Amino acid sequence: MSDLDRYKLHPANFPELKLRMNYKRRAIAQLRACRPIPEAQVRELCHKARELLIEEGNVVTVTAPVTICGDIHGQFHDLMELFRVGGDVPDTNYLFMGDFVDRGFYSLESFLLLLCLKVRYPDRMTLIRGNHESRQITTVYGFYDECLRKYGSANVWRYCCEVFDYLALGAIVLGASTSLGESKGLMPEKSSSTQPDDEGIEIELLNHTGGVPSGPSAKWRPFESSTKTSSSPAAKTGPPGTAASGYSRGSVGNTSGAVLCVHGGLSPLIDGIDKIRLLDRKQEVPHDGAMCDLLWSDPDEIDGWGLSPRGAGFLFGADIVKVFNHANDLSMIARAHQLVMEGFKEMFDNSIVTVWSAPNYCYRCGNIAAILELSEDGSGESMLARSNGEVNRSDGGVMKPSDRVLLAGPARRYRVFQAAPQDSRGMPAKKPVADYFL
Amino acid sequence: MAFNGPTDDAFPWPSQEDKFTVSHLQKGFKISARKLPISKSGPIDEMSKKLGIPVPEMIFGNNMVSIEHVATRWRLEFNAFDALDQVDKTDKNMLKVAYSKEWSSSSREKTHEGIKEVVKPFDWSYSTNYKGTIMNGKPFEDSEEPIPLELLKRPDPILFFEEVLLYESELDDNGISLFSCKLRVMPDRMLLLCRLFMRLDKVLVRIRDTRIYVDFNTGKVIREYTEKEDEFDKVRKSLLSSGTLPNDITIALRDPNQLAHLLPEVAHTTEALNLP
Repeated sequence: MSDLDRYKLHPANFPELKLRMNYKRRAIAQLRACRPIPEAQVRELCHKARELLIEEGNVVTVTAPVTICGDIHGQFHDLMELFRVGGDVPDTNYLFMGDFVDRGFYSLESFLLLLCLKVRYPDRMTLIRGNHESRQITTVYGFYDECLRKYGSANVWRYCCEVFDYLALGAIVLGASTSLGESKGLMPEKSSSTQPDDEGIEIELLNHTGGVPSGPSAKWRPFESSTKTSSSPAAKTGPPGTAASGYSRGSVGNTSGAVLCVHGGLSPLIDGIDKIRLLDRKQEVPHDGAMCDLLWSDPDEIDGWGLSPRGAGFLFGADIVKVFNHANDLSMIARAHQLVMEGFKEMFDNSIVTVWSAPNYCYRCGNIAAILELSEDGSGESMLARSNGEVNRSDGGVMKPSDRVLLAGPARRYRVFQAAPQDSRGMPAKKPVADYFL
Repeated sequence: MAFNGPTDDAFPWPSQEDKFTVSHLQKGFKISARKLPISKSGPIDEMSKKLGIPVPEMIFGNNMVSIEHVATRWRLEFNAFDALDQVDKTDKNMLKVAYSKEWSSSSREKTHEGIKEVVKPFDWSYSTNYKGTIMNGKPFEDSEEPIPLELLKRPDPILFFEEVLLYESELDDNGISLFSCKLRVMPDRMLLLCRLFMRLDKVLVRIRDTRIYVDFNTGKVIREYTEKEDEFDKVRKSLLSSGTLPNDITIALRDPNQLAHLLPEVAHTTEALNLP
């Protein structure tokens, strides 16, 4: 940005804008300090957010570079850690895949901050709905109680739930590069250990001082175990007549393809992204149907579709993901919803990844968290992927199949991080409290 | 419930198991507790394969508590693997989530593929009846002698106290299944409580307690196992009629200590053994 541009955009030159920005800036500052904003402000914020979200489709289109994040669950201080590791808004373009609330102690501050940032920087912040963004779930898992405790009434919870109903169900990332660029120096002082992978995957380990964790972590290779397990279903073939039978590595992911982001996973009722676009999403998450599945289902090492033993909910296997990705010209699906110790887990020959962004989940799991960075395709060929979601589309003849790099999925950089240090939480470390239990 | 320990601070690595084990020696008994983060993908896959069932998402595979009699090497341990091995691996004791009926009738019909197959049926509520593993030495025998509660109610100083989580599942946001141990060591005796707390929302509340009492002076060890459970709605009603305010009900339903006395007992066994 040139000095002239900066001058032109300076709020001082727009008195009305200045007033509005000040209000938002104040709210953001207050929320960043983990202090709730007054009820009237929440109401206004939620109203504005709704106006903004109603304009979004069920599947939001996002252009790389983008940083994809999984579950947050009210762990406010760890969300701050995420921003420290991933870069601040609006410098970094973020996509959060839902489950902002419940479980943690600061669901309210976490969700309102994300919402505030969404309202202030709508193009740099994408929020999609998780299964916890629902009235029913939040009444059981903490967000409702938290609102009641912090405001003395359920009004704020109600405003937030109204926003939940407008959140998009998914997002599609276009223009992701197939090769990794230089790690952008978000923190010039930081030292990091990067592990470039021959498949265009890079993992950065960061501890809370920005340095490399000491000990065996430096040699830590999360794929050692997961590649072993994911290689077995690859030997199976899909149902006859589907693209999954006898696929080669090259057909697993389309390198020029897009990345679909949803909270849970696929639905047997949805065979194309356009079907997601047709859903009526502005409602409480239903107990069944396509919308429910997108927010609830899980990948599993099975063939085809399966029913969860719990009596509700679907599980889907590698063949389902591969057929879906092929038909929709996707190189990968990114989802959240399930806790993984390593912060992320790729499955089914890298055709789907689970991203988990709540370190030391529930303040007791000791897991690390991850965010997924997709970088921009510098070649400009990303424009080709615009026709995403169209079944049987041609690739325009620009890229011949032989020119395609046989690489599964887009180039991706995982930044993994630990929970914020105890002293930043403003509460004393929990000491074991001996009690005379019987 | 307060969980504490090294997981709040730096990220520890399982290779440092010993570093995260705390022990206390009291009158010839060594009481130990190990607390580490949840298991990583590799060990989880391995464990799941060995057990033949998927493991809960929060699996503390490296955690354990143990009581050892130093002179005879008799050792009783509580760990997640053995506890999960006691979970029913068939479809005999499978619970269904509250909205299962309406879900299955509409969701299955709408899909043309007719998805019917239940993936890997097992008791996914992880309701184990695990009472600990005797790693070395003689087994327990049936006994009539209950744990002397009066002696445990005395405010003797607590010399060693630990609380260790073995596994936890959110049951896909349908409730909770939590298996954990806590122990307190006093000068002359100790109590260990290993508890399964399982709440399937709108269906069932279940508490299964194993209590180990050790009298350090006589070398007597008593094990009591109790199963309690009731329908979810009945527990709700009991809470209301025992004076819990409607707004506090969801909080109470998360706390086994507030529920234990409301649930009827369905099974109870007492065993004992004497160490020289």
